[in-house]
Amino acid sequence: MPCREVFALASIRFRFIRGEEVKYISHLDTMRTFERALRRADIPVAYSQGFNPHPLLIFGLPLSVGVTSEAEYADIELAESMDPRVFAGTLNSKLPAGLKIAEAREKFNGANIMASVALASYRIELLYTYKSIGIPEAQALIHAFLGQHEIFVDKHGKKGIQRVDIRQMIKNVELLSGAGNLENRLCIKADLSAGSKANLKPELMIPAFNKVAGEEAEIALIHRMQLYVKKGEKLYIPLEDAVLR
Amino acid sequence: MTVEISDKILMNVERPARYTGNEWNSVRKDPNNVKIRFAFCFPDVYEVGMSHLGMRILYHLLNEREDTYCERVFAPWTDMEQKMRENNIQLFALETRDPLSKFDFVGFTLQYEMSYTNIINMLDLGGISIFSGQRREHEPFVCAGGPCAYNPEPLADIIDFFILGEGEEIINEVLDEYTSWKAGGASREDFLNRIANIEGIYVPQFYNISYNLDGTVAAIKPKKAEYPGKIRKRIIKDLDKAYFPQKIIVPYIDIVHDRIMLELFRGCSRGCRFCQAGFIYRPVRERSSDRLVALSRELEKNSGYEEISLASLSTGDYSELEQLTRGLLKELEEKKVNLSFPSLRVDSFTLELMEKAQKVRKSGLTFAPEAGTQRLRNVINKNITEEDIINSVATAFYGGWNNIKLYFMIGLPTETYEDLEGIARLSNEVVKAYMEMPGERRKKGLNVSVSTSSFVPKPFTPFQWEAQDSIDVLREKQRFLQGKLKKKYISYSWHDPELSFLEAVFARGDRRVGKVLAKAWEKGCKFDSWGEHFKFDKWMEVFRECGIDPSFYANRKRDCEEVFPWDHIDVGVTKGFLIKESQKAKDGELTLECRVKCSGCGAYALQGGVCFGEHKV
Repeated sequence: MPCREVFALASIRFRFIRGEEVKYISHLDTMRTFERALRRADIPVAYSQGFNPHPLLIFGLPLSVGVTSEAEYADIELAESMDPRVFAGTLNSKLPAGLKIAEAREKFNGANIMASVALASYRIELLYTYKSIGIPEAQALIHAFLGQHEIFVDKHGKKGIQRVDIRQMIKNVELLSGAGNLENRLCIKADLSAGSKANLKPELMIPAFNKVAGEEAEIALIHRMQLYVKKGEKLYIPLEDAVLR
Repeated sequence: MTVEISDKILMNVERPARYTGNEWNSVRKDPNNVKIRFAFCFPDVYEVGMSHLGMRILYHLLNEREDTYCERVFAPWTDMEQKMRENNIQLFALETRDPLSKFDFVGFTLQYEMSYTNIINMLDLGGISIFSGQRREHEPFVCAGGPCAYNPEPLADIIDFFILGEGEEIINEVLDEYTSWKAGGASREDFLNRIANIEGIYVPQFYNISYNLDGTVAAIKPKKAEYPGKIRKRIIKDLDKAYFPQKIIVPYIDIVHDRIMLELFRGCSRGCRFCQAGFIYRPVRERSSDRLVALSRELEKNSGYEEISLASLSTGDYSELEQLTRGLLKELEEKKVNLSFPSLRVDSFTLELMEKAQKVRKSGLTFAPEAGTQRLRNVINKNITEEDIINSVATAFYGGWNNIKLYFMIGLPTETYEDLEGIARLSNEVVKAYMEMPGERRKKGLNVSVSTSSFVPKPFTPFQWEAQDSIDVLREKQRFLQGKLKKKYISYSWHDPELSFLEAVFARGDRRVGKVLAKAWEKGCKFDSWGEHFKFDKWMEVFRECGIDPSFYANRKRDCEEVFPWDHIDVGVTKGFLIKESQKAKDGELTLECRVKCSGCGAYALQGGVCFGEHKV
């Protein structure tokens, strides 16, 4: 018996996109934007108890300023049950341009998106001024990059600058074929560890990649393509049946 | 011909969302379908400008006109400005990214004197001639309004026309005139002639200022008989009927005042003698609580904001406060929206109110005794006793508050070191009040923040004849207080006296100081109210080079006969009343608040508000 019937709550997990119009806002800004849109849409969000009640809305993984995404996920608890499609439609009518819910499904367990995110897939486009990159050269570059056992980068944190080995957090890099690849423009897909246990932002990986390429390529775009959650030993897309039930 | 801002630039500046717009409720129109392009310019950065209530009102008001598209422009931060200049990017409006020079009107709001160099910088970045005398026929008309516009003279050579008073009606009249002028194809001067006689409009180039040998103003005279000798400000008589937007822009990034601001009333009946706002916005006019509750409902529905603030110069004086808060609290609690009240006077009723409203968190409470002794408080007409203050703080402490801010001013007229000692003594009494509570109530620890600003004499106040203390004297006083306030639980902060000095120069400056502004900008002065960018040495260099003595404006005591650079502006309150008040100040005599007893300030002539018997206490 799903617990929600006892508490008369509904849980919904949804995927939303973040487009060009809003890519420069921070993660905190995004959270605030959603909270306000929920109020405008008059959606019965459940609130936490205690002194400083906040809406029970959690986001999967923060997205850096300047990055777009077609796969941002969030979990929300509602005080009244609501059809997920109605939820999505109503909220979409009050979301600003650039933010839009693409998919929403009811969640029947206590799964927590923030705690279960494990991997993120990025599309990265790099612009080279001095090189021209053909397909064989690109493949060789990626091969050389992944061939390293250790990749050290300088991570700027609260404690100052730390040297970190990020190799284990790079699960895969591959060339993206298609219209994106021009002579001096390299399009790659990078699968990187994500979440509370281990998290690698693409901005940290790119300088290391450029080192192998021998040039400080300009970042033309970073776009998050998908997030994956871990359940047991397997990785899933957050809105799959196996995750929600 | 919109401006191109590349991702490369935006990724390399602080808070790029300052420049990208697209906020909920920002207005989108097709610029080709309107006749008038209006750029509302706030001379500071996005986070400061978006917090300004006036802009939020006028932006939506202007966009209600089908023939007009009003867009917002803020000062780019220094990092963005550098990239713009390097890449020949003109200052642009947020909504369309069209360059400033393309607009019909460029309107600035004058909120504080130290924003003036930013105005010049924005004109320059926008490809607009800085001086109105140099503007060519096709350039935008540059206008300005806001509290500092009541002494418009320092900007008289830069601004084409000033809007004095409440802009809601005036601006529509100006734009109507513009439409018919534009159809006729006449000269710029012709347009300015057409609007010169609209009540509340001041066109500085139509006036001659002459000076006496001692440097004071001899006369301010219109160049032609058809121009008004005195420019009277405009007021909206019935605030309930006045425009207030039902939608406000909801910014993405954190701004200074990130909430719905409900304007309860304009003006103030207290008559504190240092306070310009209280006098220039008279007569006091209130909105009814029904109207306010209805407005709050609409604004909340259209914005989704999590907090509403009741805004006015003295919210505790609003005559329907209890009704209003009852009405609001009921509606807001279900939606989990907070209610906040800045600018409350000190008394136990308001604490009861805050108890009801701030159920969620107990942020700090602010009190503004302004002066440390009863004697000096009487001089400035701030009618609070020490007993009032201590009673309120004690009530607050018992209610669970442990964070108190105390605001004072130093350099007030007739001030002695005894008055400064009073600041220290009063602060200690506040700490004592906390300590007198039983131990179990004192668990959280106490934080009393004492802050002193430096008195700046302002036009249209009873203190407009006073001299500001010199920078050295102010510094000495601050040092004295630092020593006296080095106590447990008390922290002391003060305002930079050099900045206050410049503020005093431009607050009472005449037309001649305009060239100082322009030269200071040329030397790189901007964002002067931001400590890290303030270049006092450059300012002093410019005064020397221009042959102007800033002390003449800041530190000189005037006599009653002197003609002021703002004497041709009529705000309702008369000079005669202010002279009487300044005499009462010297005698330490209080003037009762005008709703209790009318003292004939002159605002009656504007025919609105409490002078006519509404909302009497």
